[in-house]
This record gives sequence, structure tokens and C-alpha cells, in this order.
Amino acid sequence: MLFLLIAIISLILQLFLPWWIIAPLAFGLSAWKASSAKNAFGSAFFAIFVVWIVAGLIHTIPNGNILANRVGIMLNLPENSMNWMIVLLLTGIIGGLASGFSALSGFFAKDAIGGKTKIN
Amino acid sequence: MKLIKSVITALFTLVLVIVLNTKFGDIPPLAKFLDPFQGFWANAEGKKQNPEKELTIEGLKGTVEIRFDDQMIPHIFADNNHDLYFAQGYITAKDRLWQMDFQTRFASGRLSEVVGPKAIELDRYQRRMGMTFGAENMINTMMNDLEIKELSDAYTSGINAYIHSLKPGDYPFEFKLLDYAPEDWKPLNSALLLKLMSATLAGGSNEFYMNNILNKYGPEITKNLFPDYPFREDPIIPVGTKWNFDSIKVPEIPKVNLSNKTAFNIKTKEIEEGIGSNNWAVSGKKSASGFPILANDPHLDLTLPSIWYQIQLASSDMNSCGVSIPGSPGIIIGFNQDIAWGLTNVGADVLDWYTIKFKDDTKKEYWYNNKWNAVKLRIETIKVKGGSTLTDTVLYTHHGPVVYTSQQRPDNFSKIKNIPNGHALRWVAHDGSNDNRTFYLLNRAKNYTDYRKALTYYSAPAQNFIFASAENDIAITPNGYLPLKWRGQGKFLLDGTDPANDWQGRIPAEHNPTIKNPLRNFVSSANQFPNDPSYPYYINWEYAGYERAHRINKRLSIMTQANIDSIQNLQNDNYSILAENIMPTLISLVDSKKLNASEREAFNMVSKWNKFFNASEIGASIFELWHTNLAIQIWQDDLGDPKTPMRFPSRDRNVEMLLNEPNAVWYDNVKTAKKETRSDVVNAAFKFAVDSLNRKFGLMDKDWAWGNLKHTNVPHLAKIAGFGSKFLNNGGSKTSVNAVSANNGPSWRMIVALGKNVKAYGVFPGGESGNPGSYYYDDMVDTWSEGKLNELVFLKAKNEKSDRIISTWKFTHH
Repeated sequence: MLFLLIAIISLILQLFLPWWIIAPLAFGLSAWKASSAKNAFGSAFFAIFVVWIVAGLIHTIPNGNILANRVGIMLNLPENSMNWMIVLLLTGIIGGLASGFSALSGFFAKDAIGGKTKIN
Repeated sequence: MKLIKSVITALFTLVLVIVLNTKFGDIPPLAKFLDPFQGFWANAEGKKQNPEKELTIEGLKGTVEIRFDDQMIPHIFADNNHDLYFAQGYITAKDRLWQMDFQTRFASGRLSEVVGPKAIELDRYQRRMGMTFGAENMINTMMNDLEIKELSDAYTSGINAYIHSLKPGDYPFEFKLLDYAPEDWKPLNSALLLKLMSATLAGGSNEFYMNNILNKYGPEITKNLFPDYPFREDPIIPVGTKWNFDSIKVPEIPKVNLSNKTAFNIKTKEIEEGIGSNNWAVSGKKSASGFPILANDPHLDLTLPSIWYQIQLASSDMNSCGVSIPGSPGIIIGFNQDIAWGLTNVGADVLDWYTIKFKDDTKKEYWYNNKWNAVKLRIETIKVKGGSTLTDTVLYTHHGPVVYTSQQRPDNFSKIKNIPNGHALRWVAHDGSNDNRTFYLLNRAKNYTDYRKALTYYSAPAQNFIFASAENDIAITPNGYLPLKWRGQGKFLLDGTDPANDWQGRIPAEHNPTIKNPLRNFVSSANQFPNDPSYPYYINWEYAGYERAHRINKRLSIMTQANIDSIQNLQNDNYSILAENIMPTLISLVDSKKLNASEREAFNMVSKWNKFFNASEIGASIFELWHTNLAIQIWQDDLGDPKTPMRFPSRDRNVEMLLNEPNAVWYDNVKTAKKETRSDVVNAAFKFAVDSLNRKFGLMDKDWAWGNLKHTNVPHLAKIAGFGSKFLNNGGSKTSVNAVSANNGPSWRMIVALGKNVKAYGVFPGGESGNPGSYYYDDMVDTWSEGKLNELVFLKAKNEKSDRIISTWKFTHH
């Protein structure tokens, strides 16, 4: 549930807002809906991981991965027609981490203030 | 406990988000850059580009139609000139905005704002060389010409209309990588880009090296090793041409014309061999069609995005096609229905250094014309990414800026050794000028008279303007503001206290060397001497080697029934006149008894070599390393003192010595007890060549081939790894007509066949788009590398049907 919420709302918001909107979004939604720290971090991480990777694919596939491969070389990955995948993976992980930790913060904040959660 | 956990994670998250949104050193803000919605992924484009579009744009007066062909080259049709240049600005920005921004910053010394402290010294150098000073003077002059002012303003407005339409997610790739936003364009920027051309083509100098040589060896030897006219030459204006003017009085050589005899530890930038170009035109008498054919290939550093941007511009009073400089309005090299024109660099001496005698350490006054004169101060402010600002005070004399004085000279920047101490720079690029009018008129020219009129407005960098018309005229003019100098003025440092050393005005524009419809039925240039010694004025003492020019002239002399193929063939000619000149001598001097097995194999290879710098030739690689090392063997001991930098004699002088002076003292290496002979150095250089190839590639095999050694590739403009081209296996060399070297060469190749219906061909090693996420970023590279050309689409009217036009944009006014 939390996963879907973060995924769908972030997709909509990111169409016209800067990337860091995912932070307050994950924070708030997680404070509202997360059932545990693991649930908060995990759902939020994977929500953005998936959204960012899918969005990346939508851009890169029609492009024949030309740009992503060039970025890969720039990042010192070996010259290889597959290194765009590593760049894409990196994209998912970085977005996921930002989202995951924001969600974790949201959960702990709610927990500290005394919201209805199971303590684990 | 829960509170602490909450606060710590929240703080950590906040820091994480900030870190991921901040640029550190060269690492972009990671999340911002990788964000698929607004980050770099959004710059990845599909194959279909520029779909049909109608836009209403504020600032236009009428309607503009832009028709894109299958290479994304825009063909712009406007009702009036204002809209034409507005649209040119808008469309050029659409494709090359970052390049325009970056090159402007580079020229004006504003890179530190974007890349941080590592660019401070480079920025300071550009400020002190007076780049912005020159650009400001250019603007002041240009703005008095109302037509040029209007088109400059329109071009600027067009660029800004495009910039204002962008949201951060739309920024070009490099803005996202470097984490900064485009700023509004100003007319000054266009002037800065033209100044950058001046810096590239006319910003080199030799005086410090020459002074050190003079100091060490005296005037006789210096004159012998560095003569004022080469051993072999094939000047642009053919030998024996009568000058059809009465020259004005040329300044006399002052009695004491050398500034001082001190040795300097200064290294200035020399004009690199390889920065130059070829152009030629054959008259109707030499062509199969009966009409002239014109060819041009300017040689510059190759980059992605390309230096040039292809375009067609049509309005009520013009319809021309060719290449433009992104950031500058108009077409710089190109053609229309009636004429074609092209450029090669003259290489005139328009940059001189003057020794300044200050009154004291405050440097507030300097001695000139028998009195103390006030120094003017110009405060330069350099902003550095991260918030700090530093100021730099540059001292200006009537000559120009004192590029460095001993107090202000920083220790840690390698280019500073390049800048003379207490020396002022007199550079033509500092003067006001209205070069835009030249191109404005050329774009609208219909005949020879129009061409000649256009040339009178041109100042710098001096170019050999070649011309051909459907009326069957061909012509060439080494042209620009050429200072009126006494013979040899500026070959060495000049004493800045004596008015006799100032530039005494200019060569009258009508006296610039020129020729029209010569008997030999072709005109050509390849950066060689503009004239033979009978020309009454002094332009420079040294130019590029004659090899390209001579080969071009030899082949054109015997050419009949010329057509596109024969001209293209000449553009791709890899033959080396240098090899022809020196190989027999070199081979005869090799002592084959003293060669080891590997060297013998290489010697057989190079002896059989056909003297073409083709990609597959191993002999070419051996020869190239051999003759370049030979120069080092001869001169390094005599002219290679790191404490007093000097330069080697020209290749032409080396050839003369090799062929005609078998017993010259210079072959001896003064650092060894042994007395080396010509034969010794030739053999040593040969062994060096073979040894180099062995160490680099192992035993002689296809890896030794010239294409592999030369290793041509086109790097990104800011040298970002991964954003240049792959290795391009092709032929060419600095001494053949096809002047491709590692990262330098024909930045544009064009052939125009005039006639009832003009037909033109062209290619550059890049693509129209500056977006590395576009299929059109480098789509022309392979064609260029293979020596092929694309037929250029030229629409004679807006509605002309062409199956190569794939989409149209319509701009209407508000």
C-alpha cells in the first residue's frame, strides 16, 4: 500500500517538480501509513527504485541507450554497450536511498511523537 | 530514545538529500543529475526529431518558416531580416545553447563561475589578454552601423526567446552535468566568439623565442636560420603578378629596432601547425560544366559539438546557405544562387609585444615618446563557484594591456610562463571593427563587385577570401586590417618607448594582395605566403609550409574537365610533398649495415612507401616519426634550453639544410664529445622511429599502420570522457592536402558547383545537434572520416518541393 502510494504520487509530482519532492512525500506518507521501520524504508526505497528505473527506460530505449552509455564511460565504467544498465541501476539506487531514508525518518518521527504503530 | 532516533535519522536524511543535490568538485549533484524526470535521462531523444510545430513568439514582426531536412539542418525563410536573424538565434540556441554559453565563458574568462577555482588562472589570462576589452570595442563600432545593430539585437532576442522557454528539465546536458543555468545572451557574447576566432587564428606569437635566439647567436645566424622568405614557396598571388596600385610610403626600419638583449624565460603560444585551411576555385575554363567550382576546408581543432552549424537563411534580400558560427549571426562560409566564397587563415603578424619601461614600482606611468604617460587601470572581477569573487587590476598602455608585471605574476600556473613580464600586447583583435558587415554583404552578394565591397569592412582575423561566381569570375584576396609595418617589425620584441615601433596605420584595403581571373584559371590558398618578394608591404616573415599549397597548385594546373569528383579527390589527397622532397636523401644516408633485424625490416618498408599518408601505410608512420625526431636530433642541443625557451627553425629551413648543407655545424650535438654528422643524426632519428613503434606496438604489423598511430578522434568540447567520437581510422597529415591529424583537421569540407542551378556538397565531423542524447550529435562523423560528402539541400524558394525536407516549423508573431 505504502509502496503504491509513494510510487503513483511521486510519478505525478515529479512531472513538474524537482526530484527532492520525493523526500517530503516519502516522509509524510510513511508517517501516515508505514507499519514498521522495515516497511517504511523498504516500500519507499522500492517505490522510487521502480519508478525511476521505469522512467529511465522510457527515455533511454527509444534513444538506443546512446546517452546512458556515454554517461557510463564518463563515470569510468568500462566501454561496453551494456553499461547503460549500470547507470540505470545506480539511478534507481540513489533515488531509492533518498526515498528510503526519508520514509524511515517519517516513521521514526511519528513514532517519537506517539502515533499508532507497532514498536519493533 | 525514540526522539533521538527520530532526530538523527531526520538529520541524516536532510544531509543526504542536500548532498545528492550538490555538486562536489567535478561530480554532479547525483540525484538531481540522475533523476529520470528532470535529469540527464530527459535529454535522451528518439529518432524522430523536430515534429511539425507552430509557435507564437513574442518579438517577431511577421511569420517565419523553418524547414528541417533529413540531417536536421534548418532552412529558414522569413519575410524580413529582423525575423530572419531572430529565428537564426532561436534555432541555433535550440541545438547549441551550451556550446555558445561555454565558448563565451571561455573567451571572456568566466569559467570559474561554473567549474570553480581550477579555472581561475585561465580566466585571468583571458582577461589580461584583453578578450573582453576587444569585444567591447567591437560592439562600440558595430553599433554605429544601424543595420548590423538591428540584426545583432534580433539575433540576441531570438536566443533569449529560446532560453526563456526552458524549464530546468529542458536544459542541455552539460548544464545539468555542471549544475548551472543558462543566462541571457548579450550582443557582447557574439563579439566574444569572433574574438575567440581571432585568438585561435591570429593569437600566436614567437617574439620571445626569437629574442632569446638573437641574444644567444647574434643577428647573422638568426637571419640565416630564420629567413624572411622560405627556400621553397608557391605564393597565393602567383609569382610575377603585377601589383595594380602605387604603394603608399612604407615606414623605414628604425636604427635601433630591438627592444633589449635580455634573455627571457617566457613561453608564448605559437600558432599551431594544423590550424590553417585550404581553399581553391577553378574557373569555367577548367571545369566540365563551363562554370566555376569552389572548394574550402577550414582546419581547426575538431570537437563535438562541431565548431560550425549548417544553415540556410532566406529573407526578402538574401538566400544563402553554408555554415555559421553558433553565437554569431549570418553565414560565414557558403554560397547562394550566384556566388560562393570561403576562407583560409592568412597568418599575418597582427600581434606584437612591446617592452614597457615603468617609472617605478607603482607602475602608474610609463615612458613613451620622450615623456611619462599615465597607465590606465582596468579592474576585472572574476566570480568563482562557491561564492567568492576576486579582482584583478590590469594595466593598460596606449599599445594595449600589460599582460603581466612582475609583482602580479602567480607562481603556480603553467600558462603564466607563457606571458611576458612588463610587456604590453598590441593585438588587432583589440581594435573596434565591424566584421559582421562583411558577412552580411557576402551573404547578399551577387557578383565580383559585391564581393570586393564586402571585403573592405573586414578587420580580423585576416583571411584569404576566395570567391567564384556564376558570371564566371574567380578571385582570391588575403584580406583584413593589415598593419603598415617596416620590414621585419614584430619579428622580435619591440621597444615600447619609441613611437617608431608603433603600428603606423594600415595597408590600404585596396592594396591588400588580390587576383581576379588569373591566366592559370584557378585560385587557391593553403596558408602559405600571400605574395612573392615584389609586394611592397610587409605582412609577416613566416607562414605555413608550402607543401599543401604546392600540391594543390600542381594538381590544379593539370586538371581539365574538373567536376565534383575531381575536386573531392583533391580534398582527400594524402600525398606528401615533404616525403617527395626528403625521402631520397634520407634513404641514401642510412647505413644499412648498422641496422638490426627489426630496423632492416622497417627500412625496407619505408623505402617502398608510396609517399601517401593513407591509413594502412606503415611507411607513413615510420617516416613521420623519423623526420620529426630528426629535427629534435639537430636542434634540441642548440635551441632546447628550458631556462631560455627558443624555437626550432621552420620545416622549410630544415629541408633546405638537409638537402643543400651536408656539412652544416648544426648536425653536431654540442652536448656530446663526438662530432655528429648529417649521416649520424639521420641514422639516429631512424632508429628512434623504429624503436618508438616497437615500444608502442611491438613487432611490425598492422598496428604500425598510420591510421592507428595518428589515432584520429573528435573529443568533446570540454573534454568530457565518453562524449567524443570513437577512434576514426583514416589517412591525412599536416603536410598533405588532406590535413587530418589526431584531433585537428578539416572542421568543414565544402564544394560548390556554380551554374544555372547551384549544387553544393559538404560535411563536418559531428552533427547539427549539440545534444549528446540526439542521434544527430555525431551522425556525419563517419561520412567525413571516409572522405565522403553530403549533398546540401538548397531551397531556391520557401515552397520548393524536396523529398529531403521532413518537417516544418512555423513561427508567428504575437
